[in-house]
Amino acid sequence: MTDDRRAQFDAECHAAGLTLSARDRELLYDMWVDWLPQRERLRAEIPTPEEEPWR
Amino acid sequence: MAMTVADLDLHGVSDALARRDVTSVQATEEYLGRIERHDRVLRSYITVMADQALARAKAADAESERGRRRGPLHGVPIALKDLIAVAGVRMTSGSELFADHVPTRDAFVTRRLHDAGAVILGKLAMHEWAFGRPATEGSFPTGRNPWDVRRAPAGSSSGSAVAAAAGLCAGALGSDTGGSIRGPASMTGLVGHKPTYGLVSRSGVLAMCWSLDHVGPMTRGVWDSAALLQAIAGADPEDTSTRGARVQDYLSGLEAGARGLRLGLLRRFYVDYPKLDDEVRAAALQAFDVLAAEGATLRDVDAPSLEVSMAAWAPFLAETYEYHAENLRTRPDGYRESLRPRVYMGALFTGADYLRAQRLRERFRREVEALFESVDLLVFPGQMTPAVRFEDFPMTGLAPVSLRFTAPWNLLGLPAVTVPCGFTRGGLPVSIQIVGRAFDDATVLRLARAYERVTDWHARRPDPAGWRL
Repeated sequence: MTDDRRAQFDAECHAAGLTLSARDRELLYDMWVDWLPQRERLRAEIPTPEEEPWR
Repeated sequence: MAMTVADLDLHGVSDALARRDVTSVQATEEYLGRIERHDRVLRSYITVMADQALARAKAADAESERGRRRGPLHGVPIALKDLIAVAGVRMTSGSELFADHVPTRDAFVTRRLHDAGAVILGKLAMHEWAFGRPATEGSFPTGRNPWDVRRAPAGSSSGSAVAAAAGLCAGALGSDTGGSIRGPASMTGLVGHKPTYGLVSRSGVLAMCWSLDHVGPMTRGVWDSAALLQAIAGADPEDTSTRGARVQDYLSGLEAGARGLRLGLLRRFYVDYPKLDDEVRAAALQAFDVLAAEGATLRDVDAPSLEVSMAAWAPFLAETYEYHAENLRTRPDGYRESLRPRVYMGALFTGADYLRAQRLRERFRREVEALFESVDLLVFPGQMTPAVRFEDFPMTGLAPVSLRFTAPWNLLGLPAVTVPCGFTRGGLPVSIQIVGRAFDDATVLRLARAYERVTDWHARRPDPAGWRL
């Protein structure tokens, strides 16, 4: 699970074009893991068609 | 002991100047003297503009001598968070990267304050780029809380809070993207006003997050905040968010009282939150009883989307990353280690996350708009806990859980004011928060004043005898 998660994190950093020092990568990984439940919560919400982006 | 200018709130200073009990030069000199005496401990100023301030004070006095008084801010010494530009004065944003940055133009709000006759004493300490954590070392350390110098004043407008609370200026401007005005104001016994999004221009103000940034007053009293807001509110072609700015008269209705106002208490999300400090909860509930006794009606209301509001707030940090991406790539050491990962996090939200957040924001807006059909204002405790010691401040994680008390209201851009409502047994200030309809900042201030005028929390001052290490 941890390996999968680490691989996902590395893939996301790569996709975002981040080039990080080893120290920053570890700090960011911890923060990313910590925030994952909130991000999953965001992604689990299904807006209705009327809930259009803020205009 | 005789009352001094520094004991007064901005209203008191303004009245003293109008009565000619004191000149602007005298008031300015008194604040500069206090800065000299106390700021080595309090650390609220990054740059003191003594010469410029005295020149402006002298000009204000000369105008007064000629019978011209521009308004309530005429000759009043104030100070600005160090992300608001004053032409020719360095503006650091609390960052080593900008340690020598000198803007050539005033920010819109700076021009407005100058036009109103205010005297700018200097530029105030802040958390790095308005997003860092309290810092005890380095070029730009965080100010110390004047109620207990071992404690942080919260941030990011830490210097604004410290200087206004300690009487090192008559009032200050801060900025607020997730609570950076209201948090420090709550921790230092001030009124903190995040105006409606689009009411106050951010041109000439360094950004943290364009969609959520607000500039507003931090003062000892409600009148003070209203007077400052009156000066800085209004449309600015250089900040398109202000195109629809609807400016009200913020002072004339201040004394209208609480009678007839319908208040909605967000009990489930805030009062019943298990991590809410017991003393904050008790003081806030007592404050709501006071408002009811003053003639407001109070009932519990709820907005279910508050539960996802922090999840929806965070993807906006993609804007923060975009702002810093190039500097992070080329000069990462220009950022504190505690800040860098928080900014990098903004790169890990996808475009879809950002738009999902926008859509949830719309859902939340609709819920709150529906509440405003049956209530005039929303109320709840202003903070999760009183000020914490520097060493206890959470240094990890993207956003502290305490942000739930403030950040949701940045998402909606609604006017939000924190007002002191008591002190803990340990002598630390606590607050309530009032949120109103968009561009109805006047009603928010009216309720804040209705509470303030029947209580005396706002009149208490921290004791300079405690400002030693």
